Amino acid sequence: MKNRGTLLHHGIAGLCLLWSLIMVMASKVHAEEPKTFPALLPEQEALSVHAATDLLAMEPLIRGFQNLYPNTRVEFVEYVTNDLYAAAAEACQGGQALGDVFLSSSVDQLVKLANDGCARDIRSPETVTAPPWANWRNEVFGFTFEPVVFVYNRGKLPAEDVPSTHLELADLLRLRPEAYRGRVGTYDIRQSGIGYLLAFNDSQQTTTTYGRLLESLGRSQAVVRCCTSEILDELEAGRILIGYNMLASYAYARVRAGADLGIVMPADYTLVLSRGAMVPSRARNADAAARFVSYLLSARGQEVAQREGFFFGFGGETPPGIEGASSIIQTGVARPITISPALLAVQDDERRRRFIADWSRSLVEMSPE
Amino acid sequence: MARREPSLFARLIVLISLVLTLGAAALTTAAWYYAREAANEAYDRLLVGAAYQMAEAVNVQGGVLTVELPVSAFELLALSERDRIFYKIVDTRGRTLTGYGDLATPESEAPALGGPDVQDGKFKGTAVRMARTARHFSDPSVRGRVDVVVAQTTEARTTLARELTLRAVALIMVMSALALGGAVFAIRYALRPIGRVGTALLDRDPHDVTPVSVSTPRELRPFVSATNEFITRLRSRMDLMQQFIADAAHQIRTPLTALKAQLELLSRQAMDPQGRQHLCRVQERVDQLSRLANQLLSHAMVNHRAGAVPFESVDVVEVVRRAIREAVPDTLDRDIVTALELPPLPVEVEGDAISLKEAVKNVIDNAVRHGAATQLTLRVREQPRMVEIEVEDDGPGIPPELWSQVTERFGSSSSAGSGLGLSIAADVLSAHGGGLGFQNRAGGSFAVIMRLPNEMRQNR
Repeated sequence: MKNRGTLLHHGIAGLCLLWSLIMVMASKVHAEEPKTFPALLPEQEALSVHAATDLLAMEPLIRGFQNLYPNTRVEFVEYVTNDLYAAAAEACQGGQALGDVFLSSSVDQLVKLANDGCARDIRSPETVTAPPWANWRNEVFGFTFEPVVFVYNRGKLPAEDVPSTHLELADLLRLRPEAYRGRVGTYDIRQSGIGYLLAFNDSQQTTTTYGRLLESLGRSQAVVRCCTSEILDELEAGRILIGYNMLASYAYARVRAGADLGIVMPADYTLVLSRGAMVPSRARNADAAARFVSYLLSARGQEVAQREGFFFGFGGETPPGIEGASSIIQTGVARPITISPALLAVQDDERRRRFIADWSRSLVEMSPE
Repeated sequence: MARREPSLFARLIVLISLVLTLGAAALTTAAWYYAREAANEAYDRLLVGAAYQMAEAVNVQGGVLTVELPVSAFELLALSERDRIFYKIVDTRGRTLTGYGDLATPESEAPALGGPDVQDGKFKGTAVRMARTARHFSDPSVRGRVDVVVAQTTEARTTLARELTLRAVALIMVMSALALGGAVFAIRYALRPIGRVGTALLDRDPHDVTPVSVSTPRELRPFVSATNEFITRLRSRMDLMQQFIADAAHQIRTPLTALKAQLELLSRQAMDPQGRQHLCRVQERVDQLSRLANQLLSHAMVNHRAGAVPFESVDVVEVVRRAIREAVPDTLDRDIVTALELPPLPVEVEGDAISLKEAVKNVIDNAVRHGAATQLTLRVREQPRMVEIEVEDDGPGIPPELWSQVTERFGSSSSAGSGLGLSIAADVLSAHGGGLGFQNRAGGSFAVIMRLPNEMRQNR
């Protein structure tokens, strides 16, 4: 009897998940309609930015760029990381042009594209100033400094339950499975390249903790979503209490907008992601693209990004109100994800297939008894 | 005119530069080759290490071949920062398990041995270095060879090789510059004796026919000894010539003396005035001839002694006294007052007394014959560094425009003189380092001044 019930439960849960997946894919698989920023002065050129980055965060930077180059019309096409990668790889293989600049938080995918010869070399005074860990071959540049954090709903999560390390999170879910069943959210790494990259790096940091965390997430029926924004929506709504592996920049934007969210930089280690920018080799307007990337890396661009878009700086500067933020760089907690060919291991098909299979087995297919 | 030959210095420098340039080119090529080898060897180890790590990651799980590529393998390859990485793992049935399926599997010489094999290749039009290693499985379900191919672009290798080569080239340049500088210095140093020999030959007195005695390197000795042999031959010919002139003059004098005696006898006989006039002319010509013979003898003697007789201390006053004593008998046919203004003490110079006496004699003779009407004055004066012997007469003298001519042999075209006297004096004085000068004096007198340096004596 019990077995059958479990099976039924399992089936329903699986169906629900499948449905939500289909809905998500239907809405997200294709790039959204491009958003156009008309040139401030008579238009002389157009720059097409294909990005797996929230337009909200990028908008101040695009406007800042247009202040410098008022004759440029900027088109912004938004993707989910995996879709951007798929489209870019296809365009590169087929020898077609797709956009002038790629922006993606999933830098491993950009590294893979660059490794396959799909990127263009950019040299300018600004590109030289990028930190070495955020520059590969002058082709892929990291232009942001984004800690990967836990986000929680301040109103609903008891203060004593706020986890400060990955292990505490795992233990919390393990010890109180009932309270947190379906109340923890994270990326669906099958859909989200950034989710996969972060999970992969988690697994590289500590194998045991990662295993326990994965198991705990699975037990507590963690909610998986394609994008940070959806999880943050649910966090704000209170349907989810804790978001795991969230990008601090997006979360902080919500906090600034008045959401009652808490942000924790894990004290055992905090992954730091540098959002990647790349100019494809077949860019139509490579010149403007190079100027745009240079602007992102310039002191002005960084200042705008830190003030309005991404809130964190390469020096480890953090905005107020973030827990465990006493300079993650100085305490040695920060683990920047280096933009280097080592990320090719992350992009290995076989490894990726197995990793996602393991993850799915633990998190999605395994349902609580 | 011989074709202008390039200088020894230029020849040597051109040759040495050529050798250095060729050497530098050869060394640079070798440096590039070795640098490439070294760079390849260094980065090949990373490549092979990564291939081994990847091969290690191949496992059989549940009868299926699986691979979980280690991040460290990529980190190892990422040590060459700018290089792109391609890899593939081929399973026992030849299918690509993971990685770049279109990456060619390099042909290996002995794949069975499974050792790493590194070679150059191309992938997607880019030059790459490829390593291949194999792993053999003897599992019941999986049996056979799994190939691991790792390729990397060659930017880091090229950069390293270029850097190594540039450093080597810098060293080669420094070395070549040093060699060239050293060569310039050495050639100049080695060629200096040639200039020395040339200067020694140039600085020689034209009458000096003694052998050259400059010390020279062995290589120049044939040249110097050939020169010396030539000088010796020249000298013996000159001696022969002088000897011949002396002999001839001597031979002519004997018949001349007899001729004079006959003329003397003839003049005592009665003859018509026209005949006497002719006889007088013949007597004059014979005198002229005998004087020429004497002067030729004197000239030959003086020239023979120049450079052959060592100089010794000579009292100029004594020389002048002797000269006037020997020259005066010739002057007796006219009434000339001869005055001597000589210092009381001996005035000494380095020289050949006999040559000097001949010189003074010839000047006096010249003055008596062509100049002095009534007065002849001889003076010896000591000047600083110089002793002057002056012969002054009240005759018509020599016009200044002829002064440079009269010291040449047969330079005076007067009918009475042979033109040898003053040239003999000039030769003697120049052999002594002195000279002959002329002066028109107030009161219509004319002076011939013989200057002799006495510097050597003062220095002693």
